[in-house]
Amino acid sequence: MNLISGIDVISSALNAQKTRLDIVAQNIANAQTTRTPDGGPYQRRIVSFENELIRQSSGVNVPSVRVAGITEDKSPGQQVYNPQHPDAGPDGNVSMPNVNLSYEMVDLITATRSYEANLTVVKNARQMALKTLNIGK
Amino acid sequence: MIDPIFQSENYHLARNLLDASVLRHEAIAANIANSDTPGYRRLDISPDFERQLKSRMDAGELVSAGPVAPRLVEDASARSLRPDGNTVELEGELLEMNRNAVEHEFLTEIVSNNLKQLRMAITGRPQA
Repeated sequence: MNLISGIDVISSALNAQKTRLDIVAQNIANAQTTRTPDGGPYQRRIVSFENELIRQSSGVNVPSVRVAGITEDKSPGQQVYNPQHPDAGPDGNVSMPNVNLSYEMVDLITATRSYEANLTVVKNARQMALKTLNIGK
Repeated sequence: MIDPIFQSENYHLARNLLDASVLRHEAIAANIANSDTPGYRRLDISPDFERQLKSRMDAGELVSAGPVAPRLVEDASARSLRPDGNTVELEGELLEMNRNAVEHEFLTEIVSNNLKQLRMAITGRPQA
């Protein structure tokens, strides 16, 4: 039995949005990284979501969210002419990561708002559960 | 003796709608959780539920026929305005959630009052 309705769906969503925030943080942190263990500049990571059915005790299937995968954005980064840079090529160009700060900021805000919306649902569900417990008092 | 209060139409209707409002909250939770899942279609209580409840009320067999079980179905009327085909609108869901919470509060109040009446009938005085 689940006293607070929808709590497992919401927790999966909070987890998924938090993963997204982590990835945004990682992208922003590596916005200037030109050397990685795999060689080449840092590639921007993208999170994708998919849903998964959770079977409730009431027999109703509710779709929860899951991180489907973290993939690399294969688009090429900017070439910056900087011959002094240790990672500069023979022509003096450095390939920079393909991180675009404005994309990341928008993603950050979207993920935060989603996270907040999910928290509001939990708060509301809790209120509803408390009201149910007060029946007859 | 106690049966007649539990046989009242209002009590049964409130109980039935209370089940539906908890299930609707579950649907809204799933919708908001999946607001970023591509191709997700929003869930809602099946429109059959209201229709069935209304027909049972009109036929006066709400009490005898037992509760109507609400079901969750994909909302066929929702249209997607987004390129990923997701039909969830976050603002709409949040409004619906608040509306649902108020409805839930109202229904618990009705059920509570029914029980309080019964208690008053037993003890002969209003509850302190």
